[in-house]
Amino acid sequence: MMISREELRDSARKGLGSDGLMPPADQSWERLVEMGWFAMAVPEDHGGLGLGPEALAAVHIELGRALVPGPAIAQMLAIDVLCSVPDFAARDELLGAAIGGQRLGLSLALHQAGTLTCVPDADQASQMLVLGPDRIALADIASASQNATWDETRRLFDVEIAGQTVIANGADAHDAYIRALSRLLLALSADAVGGADAVLDMSIEYLKTRRQFDRPLALFQALKHRVADMKIAVVAAEALLWSRTGDAVSLHDLAALKALATTSFCRVAEEAVQLHGGIGLTVEHPCHRFLKRAYLNAALGGDADHWNGFAGRVALGQQKSN
Amino acid sequence: MSNVNDPQAASRSEVRQWLVEHRPADWRDAATHEAFVASQRNWFAKLVDAGYAIPHWPAQWPGGGRSLAEQKVLYEELASADAPRLLLSFVSTYHAFATLHECGNDNQKARYLPRILEGETWCQGFSEPGAGSDLAAVRCRAERKGDVYVINGQKVWSTMAQYADRCLLLARTSTESAKQAGLTYFLMDMKAPGVTVRPIHQIQGDEEFAEIFLDNVEIPVSERVGEEGQGWAVAQATLSSERGLTLMELGYRMRGALSRVADLINTVARHDDEGVLRDFGALTGQVEAVCALADQFLENRMNGLEQIGDASVVKNAYSRALRAYSALGVRLGGMAAQYRTPITYGDLNSGNWMADFMNSYAWTIAGGSEEVQRNIIAERMLGMPREPKNWVLA
Ligand SMILES: Cc1cc2nc3c(=O)[nH]c(=O)nc-3n(C[C@H](O)[C@H](O)[C@H](O)COP(=O)(O)OP(=O)(O)OC[C@H]3O[C@@H](n4cnc5c(N)ncnc54)[C@H](O)[C@@H]3O)c2cc1C
Repeated sequence: MMISREELRDSARKGLGSDGLMPPADQSWERLVEMGWFAMAVPEDHGGLGLGPEALAAVHIELGRALVPGPAIAQMLAIDVLCSVPDFAARDELLGAAIGGQRLGLSLALHQAGTLTCVPDADQASQMLVLGPDRIALADIASASQNATWDETRRLFDVEIAGQTVIANGADAHDAYIRALSRLLLALSADAVGGADAVLDMSIEYLKTRRQFDRPLALFQALKHRVADMKIAVVAAEALLWSRTGDAVSLHDLAALKALATTSFCRVAEEAVQLHGGIGLTVEHPCHRFLKRAYLNAALGGDADHWNGFAGRVALGQQKSN
Repeated sequence: MSNVNDPQAASRSEVRQWLVEHRPADWRDAATHEAFVASQRNWFAKLVDAGYAIPHWPAQWPGGGRSLAEQKVLYEELASADAPRLLLSFVSTYHAFATLHECGNDNQKARYLPRILEGETWCQGFSEPGAGSDLAAVRCRAERKGDVYVINGQKVWSTMAQYADRCLLLARTSTESAKQAGLTYFLMDMKAPGVTVRPIHQIQGDEEFAEIFLDNVEIPVSERVGEEGQGWAVAQATLSSERGLTLMELGYRMRGALSRVADLINTVARHDDEGVLRDFGALTGQVEAVCALADQFLENRMNGLEQIGDASVVKNAYSRALRAYSALGVRLGGMAAQYRTPITYGDLNSGNWMADFMNSYAWTIAGGSEEVQRNIIAERMLGMPREPKNWVLA
């Protein structure tokens, strides 16, 4: 199935945009289900649309742009994992339920030993997927306690699990794990690009309307130049994102992207708060929500130090073997 | 980089093989400017023969009409093979070509374009002591006298002017009208009587650019590009090639030159230093982003979708990445990077990291400085209000 990037973006914006920034969680979850987004990346023979990473990126950009709350990233990853492991008895039923919006847990933390952390909306899920480099299991959630984050658009839980059924081992598990990790990095990067773009637009609008010294703030070159640098950061991150949505993209390509995109979002959101002055420090103004989401995106799924180090090591090895 | 999934694998290995046989290994040994220029001429001629010198020209030219994918492979391979950049023919193959191609008349095209491939070189005579960022303030005069224009004035920072055969000259034909409307564009013979060139010593020891003094120089009317008063518009064609087209070559060259940083990391045994690996990883991401931007930019341009400010975004992203690339080299190079080399012409692979670092300023200052690009992005792309024209000291 072929749908252009623009079509996806437009339909995503139409679906979510009308609800404004940070729409109520339940309402946007229903929309995601209605629009069939959880079936988007599901192969056609599993009843999905069979769209690739480009479509995922387009949707996550819009989710980030509107600060849509909820566990969409985890849900899409869980669905993707179900599709990429070998068939097992309950698979079709689980998949159908997840596509229909029934929450399936999954940790967004990079390292998953001991207590499972960073599982979004685990209180609303009865089961979760536990991913490891050579083992993927389906587990029952025994207890979930929320560990409240500054970013109020995500609700993350520490989870104790009960019974586990291994659904993939060895090479199968490894492939599914690397694929899930890659998609996690792509999703967080796209979310960051969307958020950065939105908070930049907001800052430009503000500088054009706010007047001091009898002129719009936007006339001050010290501020224009900072805005121009923010724009360059966002455009560069987005260009890199689109160049990483092909099918043959490897983990280290996404590693460098994750580091660059989430770091750019942090920088742009920091500048946005500063450029708004006092109003930027008030809870009524949405600036801080972008700042908090930016920092959470940077921390989830391995931080910039981790992924830059990884990318550097791989690049060094590649240069040697050339 | 070599990869079974690479759709350009064939053209990549062809270029690679050619480079193994033809790359000048000794280009960094040039001890005099003359030797450097001779090696540049030699290398350009070889690339022309092989069809690798002007991949961005249209297909009617030998070696032209290459797809963007092929061009990228070529630039990347040239850099990884440590081949010298075509500094001497940079202005002729980009600026002069773009200007003639877009604004020149048929006679001018027929006369000058083939000569570029035969090795004729050009310089760009735009900047003056009083007209840098404010290019429209050009004061160099051109007065019409019958069939010729008589030129008087001074140009500065003209890259490789001391070796150039011809000059893209921006001069003032009228002081009556608005600043821009009084400008006219000429093709000037650098051997004409009245032209004096004085090389300028640069901080990295080179004499890459020069001053040009013009004393009653006569230029035939047939050497005017466009009409009298249209110089500003023609100059935009020159500048847009500088800000846009060149960046793909430069971006992919930088990508290829990442191998120099990798070699350095190994040489100084920092390959297990997590901090260094992180910085190298971050640099890789930054360089990849520049390449992705350049790709996107050229694709938009070819589809008529280029917007004001796009080229400025690419240029600043490149100049920042170049600074970061060379700064990492200086840092890792330690004392070795602090010893002087006599001549370093070489852009991002001179073989001396401190020289590369100093050279990186060329891209934050020349062709519209980083600050000027930011103004363009803020005012013309993002719609922030423009600086008032008149001002008084408070
Ligand atoms: C390596 C190199 C090669 C060059 N080659 C050529 C060539 O071949 N032909 C040619 O014609 N010219 C060439 N130039 C000249 C180049 O185009 C000018 O140096 C450039 O336009 C800046 O002008 P300037 O040096 O007069 O600096 P200025 O314009 O005096 O600028 C000084 C500083 O002020 C800043 N500034 C200026 N205006 C503004 C503003 N409105 N807002 C904010 N900041 C501002 C600048 O960014 C800069 O930091 C070359 C320059 C270099 C460095």
